[in-house]
Amino acid sequence: MDLFGGLAYGFSVTLAPANLFACFVGVFVGTLIGVLPGIGPVATMSLLLPVTYAMSPTASIIMMAGVYYGAMYGGSTTSILVNIPGEAASVVTCLDGYQMARQGRAGPALGIAAMGSFIAGTLSVLGIMLLAPPLTAVALRFGPPEIFTLLLLGFTMVTYLTAGSKLKAVAMALLGMLLGTVGLDPITSTPRFTYGSLTLGDGLGLVPIIMGLFGISEVLVNIEKGIQQEVFQTRIKGLWPTREDWRRSAAPIARGSGLGFFLGILPGIGAIIPTFISYALEKRVSKYPERFGTGVIEGVAAPEAANNAATGGAMIPLLTLGIAPNVVMAVLLSAFLIHGVQPGPLLIREHPEIFWGVVASMYVGNVMLLVLNLPLIGLWVQLLRVPYGILFPLILVFCVIGVYSESGNPWDIIVMLAFGGLGYLMRKFDFEPAPMVLAFVLGRMAEESFRQSLLMSRGRIDILLTRPIATTFLVVAILVMLAPLVVPPVKRMLRTVPLEEAD
Amino acid sequence: MRRRDLAAAIVLLGFGVLAVSQARGLRPGSVVAPGPGFFPLGLAIAFSLVCVGLLVSAVRAPAGPAPGASGAAASGRLKAVATIAGLVAYALLIEPLGFRLATLGLLLFFFKALQGQRWRVALPAAAGTALVIDLVFRRWLGGNLPSGPWGF
Repeated sequence: MDLFGGLAYGFSVTLAPANLFACFVGVFVGTLIGVLPGIGPVATMSLLLPVTYAMSPTASIIMMAGVYYGAMYGGSTTSILVNIPGEAASVVTCLDGYQMARQGRAGPALGIAAMGSFIAGTLSVLGIMLLAPPLTAVALRFGPPEIFTLLLLGFTMVTYLTAGSKLKAVAMALLGMLLGTVGLDPITSTPRFTYGSLTLGDGLGLVPIIMGLFGISEVLVNIEKGIQQEVFQTRIKGLWPTREDWRRSAAPIARGSGLGFFLGILPGIGAIIPTFISYALEKRVSKYPERFGTGVIEGVAAPEAANNAATGGAMIPLLTLGIAPNVVMAVLLSAFLIHGVQPGPLLIREHPEIFWGVVASMYVGNVMLLVLNLPLIGLWVQLLRVPYGILFPLILVFCVIGVYSESGNPWDIIVMLAFGGLGYLMRKFDFEPAPMVLAFVLGRMAEESFRQSLLMSRGRIDILLTRPIATTFLVVAILVMLAPLVVPPVKRMLRTVPLEEAD
Repeated sequence: MRRRDLAAAIVLLGFGVLAVSQARGLRPGSVVAPGPGFFPLGLAIAFSLVCVGLLVSAVRAPAGPAPGASGAAASGRLKAVATIAGLVAYALLIEPLGFRLATLGLLLFFFKALQGQRWRVALPAAAGTALVIDLVFRRWLGGNLPSGPWGF
C-alpha cells in the first residue's frame, strides 16, 4: 500500500462511526484532563484501559492516542489562565502565557496555543506518515542485540535527561527493572519473587503502579499543599490572533514543530524537554530576548507547537519498533497488548487498519481539538472554577475504579496505594518516578533481548560491539552520559527540566 | 551531611541488600546459559552499588535547609496520611460492603472529616456523587464493580 493509498484507507477506517466516536471521546477527555491540574494523560489512559476491553483494537488505540495529544491542547488553557500547568508539558507556557493574560491578551494567547498546537500536530502526523514506513523496513533487521542496545539508550536518556540527581534517576531505573522481574521468568517461566502467591505470579500490574505513582501521589501532594487555583478574572475576547501575532509566531511554530517531532522520536525524551529547548531556542534567536517572560507571543507559540509535535514523534518508535519511548507510550503499548496486537515492524503489514486508522485519526482529532479548544473555551474556564475539594475525591475514586475494573482484585488497589505512598515520598525526597516506570515496562523486553543476545553469541558480550546498529546505539548512549560533563549548556539545560512526563 | 538523602539511601540500600539475598536463591546460570536469576541478581547488585553511591554523596553533601515545621505543613501532611488511610479502608471494604456503599462512606469521609463540610452538604453531595459514579461506571460502561451482600 502506498502512502496516499494508506492514508485514504486510514480515513475510511477513522470515519467509521465507532472510531469517529472513539476519537471524539479521546480528544475530549484529553482536553478535560489537560485543563484540570492534578491528573495527567498517563493516569487517565491507565484509567481508560479497562474501558477499552469492550472496544475494537483500532477504536481503543485511536481513543488512547486522542487522550495524549488532547491533553497537550488542554494543558495550555490552565497555564495561560491560572499560571498552573494543566499537565507537565505546558510548564513553559505559563511563563509568557499568563503574562499575556494579565495584560488583557488571554484571547490571542489561547488562540495561538490552539493554532500552534493544530499546525504542529498536523505536521507531526505528516512526519509519522513519511517516516514510519521506511523505519519499519530498517526495524525488520533488528535482532536482540539491537533491541537491547536501543533500550539501553532509552534508559540512559530518560535517566540523564531528567532533573536533579542522575544517581537517583539511575537508582529508580534499576528499581523499576527489578520490580519488573517479579512474576514468571519470560524464558523459562520459573517463578521469581512470588513467594507462592498466584497474584504475584502474574507480576505487578502496570496500571496500579502508574495510577499510584502519578495519580494518587499527585493528589496527595496537592492535598498537602492545599492547592488554590485562581482563574484570571477577565473576559476572554479576540481568540483569533492578529496579523502581527501571526507574523511573530509563524517561525517559532515551524521551529517548535520540527524540534518537538524529532526530539519526540528519541527514547526517553517525552513532550516536556522539547518545550524547554524550543523556548530556549526562541529566546536565543529573538531580537529581544530580554522580553521573554513578560508576555511575548513567541514564548507561547513555540513550546505549544513543540509539545504537540513531540506526541506525534513519540508514536514512531512504538509503531515501528514496538518500543515505548516514554511512560505515556508505555500505557499505549499496554492497550495494544491487551487486544493481542504487538506493535512493531509487522504492524503495518498485519494490522494496516490500526496503523493507518490511528494516523488518519490524528488528522481528524486535531481538527476536533481546534473546535473544542477555541469556541468552547468558556466551558473549560468554568471547569477550572470547580474547587479542588470536589475534584480530588472524584480523581481518587476514578483511580480505584480503573484499577479494580481491570483485574477485579482488591489487592491491586492496595498495590496502587502502596505506589501512591511511594510516589508521594519520592516527590518529597526528589526522586523522579518516570525512569522507574519506563524501566518497569521495558525491563522485561531488555532482559529477554539481553539473554537472547548472550545465547546467540555463546556468552560473548562483545556481540553488542560487533554489529553496526547495536554499536551505534551504545556509542550514542555513552555520549548522552558524557554530554552534561563536557558541554556546559547541556548541563544548564538539564538543571532546568523539572518534571516527569506524566503529570 | 544531608539527612533526608541519607535516610532515603539507607532505606533503598536495605531494599537492595534484601533483593540480592532473595535473587541469590534463584538459579543465576552462567553468561553462556543465563538462568532466571541472572538478570535479577545483576540488577540487585547494580542497584545496591548505586545506593552506596547515594549514601556516600548524602554524607559528603552540605547539610540542607531544615524541614519546615509550620502548622499548615503538619496539617497538610496529616490530611495526606488520612487520605491514604481512608483509601486503604475503602480497598478492604469495597467487596464486603459493595461499591455503592463503600464509595458513599469514602466520599463522606473526604467531605466531612477532611474538608469539614456540614452534614447537610456532605451527605447529599456524597450520596449524589456515589450514585452518579455508580450509574456511569457500573450501569452504562458495564464496569466490573462489586455489588455487596445487599445487592448494591
